[in-house]
Amino acid sequence: MIRGVITRGVITSRRVSLALAAGFLALLYLGALGAGFLAPYGFDEQDREHTYAPPVRLRFRDGGGRLHLRPFLYIGVEKPGAPGVYEEDRARAFPVRFLVPAPPGRTGARVRLFGVEEPARIFLLGTDRFGRDQLSRLLYGARISLFSGLLAAGLAVALGLLAGAVAGFRGGWLDQVLMRTSELFLALPWLYLLLAVRAVLPLDLAPSGSFLLLVAVLGAVGWARPARLVRGAVLSARGRDYVLAAQGFGGSDGYVLRRHVLPQAVGVALTQLALLVPQYVLAEVAMSFLGLGVAEPVPSWGTMLAELERYDVLISYQWMLWPAVLLTGVVLSYHTLAEHIRERLQAGEV
Amino acid sequence: MRYVASRLGYGLLLLLGVSILSFLLADLSPGDATAEMRLNPRISPGAVAALRVRYGLDRPLPVRYVRWLRSVASGELGWSVAFDAPVGPLLWRRAGNTLVLAVTAMILAWIVAVPAGVWAAARQGSWGDRLGLAASAVLLAVSELVLALLGLALAASTGLLPAGGMASLDYDALGGWGRARDLAAHLALPAVVLALSAFPVVHRHVRAAVAEALESPFVQAARGNGIPRRRLLWRHALPAAAKPLVSLLGLSIAGLLSGSVLVEVILSWPGLGPLLLQAILARDLHVVVGAILLSSVFLVLGNLVADLLLYWVDPRVRGT
Amino acid sequence: MSGILRRNLLLAAGLLALAGCGSPATQPAGGAAKADDGPRRGGRVVAALGSEPRTFNPVTAADGASLSVIQAMTANLVHIDRQDQEAKPALAERWTVDDGGRRYTLVLRPALRFSDGHPATADDVVFSFQVYLDEKIDSPQRDLLIVGGQPIQVRRIDDRTVEFRLAEPYGVAERLFDGFAILPRHLLEAAYKAGTLADAWGTDTPPAKMAGLGPFRLRERRAGERLVLERNPFYWKKDKPYLDELVFLTVPNADAQAVRFQAGELDVVDRLSAESFDRLSRGGARRGYQLTDAGPGLDLNFLFFNQNDLGNRRLPELRRRQGWFRQTAFRQAVSAAIDRGSLVHVVYRGRATPLNSHETPGSHWLNKTLPPPRYAPDEARRLLRQAGFSWDAAGALHDPAGERVGFTLLVVAGNTERGPMATLIQEDLRKIGMDVRIAALELQAVLDRLFTSYDYDACVLGLDGGDADPNPSMSILLSDGSHHFWGLTHGGPPAPWEAEIDRLMKTQIAERDPAQRRRLYDRVQEIVMEQRPLIALVTPNVLVGAKAGLGNLRPAVLDDHLLWNVEELYWRQR
Repeated sequence: MIRGVITRGVITSRRVSLALAAGFLALLYLGALGAGFLAPYGFDEQDREHTYAPPVRLRFRDGGGRLHLRPFLYIGVEKPGAPGVYEEDRARAFPVRFLVPAPPGRTGARVRLFGVEEPARIFLLGTDRFGRDQLSRLLYGARISLFSGLLAAGLAVALGLLAGAVAGFRGGWLDQVLMRTSELFLALPWLYLLLAVRAVLPLDLAPSGSFLLLVAVLGAVGWARPARLVRGAVLSARGRDYVLAAQGFGGSDGYVLRRHVLPQAVGVALTQLALLVPQYVLAEVAMSFLGLGVAEPVPSWGTMLAELERYDVLISYQWMLWPAVLLTGVVLSYHTLAEHIRERLQAGEV
Repeated sequence: MRYVASRLGYGLLLLLGVSILSFLLADLSPGDATAEMRLNPRISPGAVAALRVRYGLDRPLPVRYVRWLRSVASGELGWSVAFDAPVGPLLWRRAGNTLVLAVTAMILAWIVAVPAGVWAAARQGSWGDRLGLAASAVLLAVSELVLALLGLALAASTGLLPAGGMASLDYDALGGWGRARDLAAHLALPAVVLALSAFPVVHRHVRAAVAEALESPFVQAARGNGIPRRRLLWRHALPAAAKPLVSLLGLSIAGLLSGSVLVEVILSWPGLGPLLLQAILARDLHVVVGAILLSSVFLVLGNLVADLLLYWVDPRVRGT
Repeated sequence: MSGILRRNLLLAAGLLALAGCGSPATQPAGGAAKADDGPRRGGRVVAALGSEPRTFNPVTAADGASLSVIQAMTANLVHIDRQDQEAKPALAERWTVDDGGRRYTLVLRPALRFSDGHPATADDVVFSFQVYLDEKIDSPQRDLLIVGGQPIQVRRIDDRTVEFRLAEPYGVAERLFDGFAILPRHLLEAAYKAGTLADAWGTDTPPAKMAGLGPFRLRERRAGERLVLERNPFYWKKDKPYLDELVFLTVPNADAQAVRFQAGELDVVDRLSAESFDRLSRGGARRGYQLTDAGPGLDLNFLFFNQNDLGNRRLPELRRRQGWFRQTAFRQAVSAAIDRGSLVHVVYRGRATPLNSHETPGSHWLNKTLPPPRYAPDEARRLLRQAGFSWDAAGALHDPAGERVGFTLLVVAGNTERGPMATLIQEDLRKIGMDVRIAALELQAVLDRLFTSYDYDACVLGLDGGDADPNPSMSILLSDGSHHFWGLTHGGPPAPWEAEIDRLMKTQIAERDPAQRRRLYDRVQEIVMEQRPLIALVTPNVLVGAKAGLGNLRPAVLDDHLLWNVEELYWRQR
């Protein structure tokens, strides 16, 4: 009886976390697509008077102690002689306005969800070195990173799943060929290949071009690891009695592979997928170093995370950690989704 | 035995293939080992041209490759243009240092991640499990470079650990015990950083594999027979989950030499990392190929070990 | 010493401070000298190198780390004082100049000994210059010794006297001798005769096989980790050096250098970033170190457009854009539209100076009559309008043929100074309607485009100072110079103003009257400001740090900022 309650408790909490994960991801993807409307500024709008400005404080109570329904804020002014230290100028309050018209700019947005009157700026998540709004850059950056990370990881894992399953299931010379090839792929100096690729490309790459390149390269290079892991799982599944039995009863290779072996391998593959997505978002930094990433001023989470790799930024400006926080959320959500899919697969529902 | 021999034979072929491809790709990418000197106004263009001749960089690709092969055969492992010295001696000591670090980190990571993964698999959905997943998600979302910088900040602000390097200045004056302690103190930070960045991978794979094994019919049956939970986990589920983990172990061994480059650079560990990074940027090709080959040797060995272990763990595979 | 007569490219690749700038450092803003009984013997100073030294051979060394170490182990005939930037006697106690500046006679100090105890004489000097001049060895320094197309002639007069003969008078005169370490003939002659001198003194050489006239000598090397230098008991300056040991740790990452300095593991740190400097400043007194902002240095950051003659290369788009790049008004407009004040503010947190020409305020050769640069986007628009450019309704700039004006800006990826500069410049130029795209490439790819393929539009680069003298800029300014980046190939004869720069630079090198030389060089700076073949941006301040209590530390704007007088450094009573 008690056990049943606990089980039911676990199941409901799983439902909840599944809903949370799906909701979080949906919000992010929607945010990315709707960045033009949601972001208060363009991703390239610099405010050089506000470099590394901390997140603005939204206020409801004014100096006289009166409560306002509409939040407002004060302008932050850099203290002379103390770079990076800001003080509020209380002379004038700037209420937050909604559905404000957007000035013409690179992003092409017409109306924005919220904003404040100039000269005040609403930096909800602070600014970077150039005084660019972190929130806006996170939203626009998600366009590239959320899709490139998932697509590249998906490509790598799909290729790996195929190669690993075939190698593990068929064995023999095919196994040898595939596994030795994967070793070659793991050992190759990809850096040189990428440098060579960059050299033949034109100097200025459009963001969409870099995006596709990123996905293709990461996916094509990354299949070897998942392939080896999937093969391990397939080998172990194939040895199981029920699989041997299914084969004995005359189940075709395709049937056995699909019905008994793949579900085993999918667990490994999904785990790899959840691991690779964040890795590939980060990998974009290395690609940028080779000139293959997304060029300034277009943001991506990868280049935003690379900012953290400067000691003083990491130590002094906590709001620069936001991309890492969001990426953590993405990892957790993908993982939860992956778990769920695996369970469904094992229960034979797919 | 014949199997091992043939695998090692394949390994040699792999090394050959990797070296040929490295030369080919390097030839396609812009710049060579003297290009940086071209930019240095301290060096006249004539001197750069003379250097190119001296190192044979002006020769066609096949000639350069054969020269390199000969140099490998003689044990030099090629010639570094930057250091004007044979590559072999440059690599050995640093590779040793890297191994000390990487092996320690790998042991740390597996010692913590395997029990944590097994435990999490047994209590899926519990708060402990979620905490573990969240921790590994955080670790995945920050690069190891950021982890290394955080380690650096920690060392600098607490003063408990040295903020880099491998030995104190008075290392040579220390006795045997003192040296061991000194090494351990210097090793702690980089090893923990590396282990942390490896943790999520191992933890998640163990958790997934054990979870799956727990649901397999024979473990369910064993549970039905009333075998105690702990024994069930460690004696039945873990071995059943071992195979994919063995593959992962093979990959971990394969990455021993190449996985710590950035951590070494940040924490001034005198390993292959800084040398390799410098060599790549400076196109010091023979050093890069030398390091790639060393690392490929580990790859071949790692995968061989993994496959042998697979055989050993599961006699049924032997039939194939 | 460090081949001081040339400007060197700043390569530091941000994250990895790999190339070039691995200077070691010692430091203490000597100020506030408390009750001090004068220099004391003993102790050691620990400095950092950004990369491992590649050789100990002074003849072939060209990278910053090697030069830093070699500087501590060797000595020159004449030494440029890093503080007042004047030439001072070193191994040569005095010298005379005659024959209209064509003959230098240098007299060595008596009883000089190498660090292995072997006497050093005029024979060693002659041998050293024979080596530096040898075509087969091809020392990077060699062409500094070619004056008026002829190698300098070196002759022994007696045991202590050496004569140098030049084909033409030479403006820098005795400064020339700073940068040529005197080598021990007894240790290197065999290698020289065997033709292997260029390979001698690699990093694996046992310390006993090397010797120099510098304050320290090598005692121990741990590959990839550190070098330990010990006091040279035979050093020629009385009682010096005061320190017993000088240690160089390899710390590849610039941030890590600052942190290890903060943690007390390094005694000195050089080339701090402005961020690190500010952060370290916040805990100074408590931590027991001092930081010094030594003011504007000699580093030059600049932007230039590709004006190379493309020959028969198939780059039609670039060829068209070069039509703009070759217009002086276009370059002037770009210069006026760049807000150098924000480069100083955003990239260097205020610790830098805007530049209008290629010479920096760190050098006393700066033409002080030049106005400071002005941020004037309206002036830029006026210049462009006069040149026939126009703007469409959306504010985008078009050339007289109606083409949209835009170009790519090449920058070395990962560079923490020039990278952000490019982003700021991109935004500045967008405001006057130019569409700038940033292409951050890895160093070698940048080099390939600058020197070989010429496939780029514009580039932001940094150069270090070399020496506070006009001559280091020769290879950049001369229209046929090896580092005349914007025009390494020419379609026709140089423009009149380029010919004038050539003539002025070639005249000043032979001019021995400093006042006249200054007039010539002032004019060169004026032309560069008017014509903007290179658009000078900003020069950062020299930021260094040292543990408190290090005596005689006098940070200089010339490289090596801190260790240039390492033999005089000492620890105060603690």
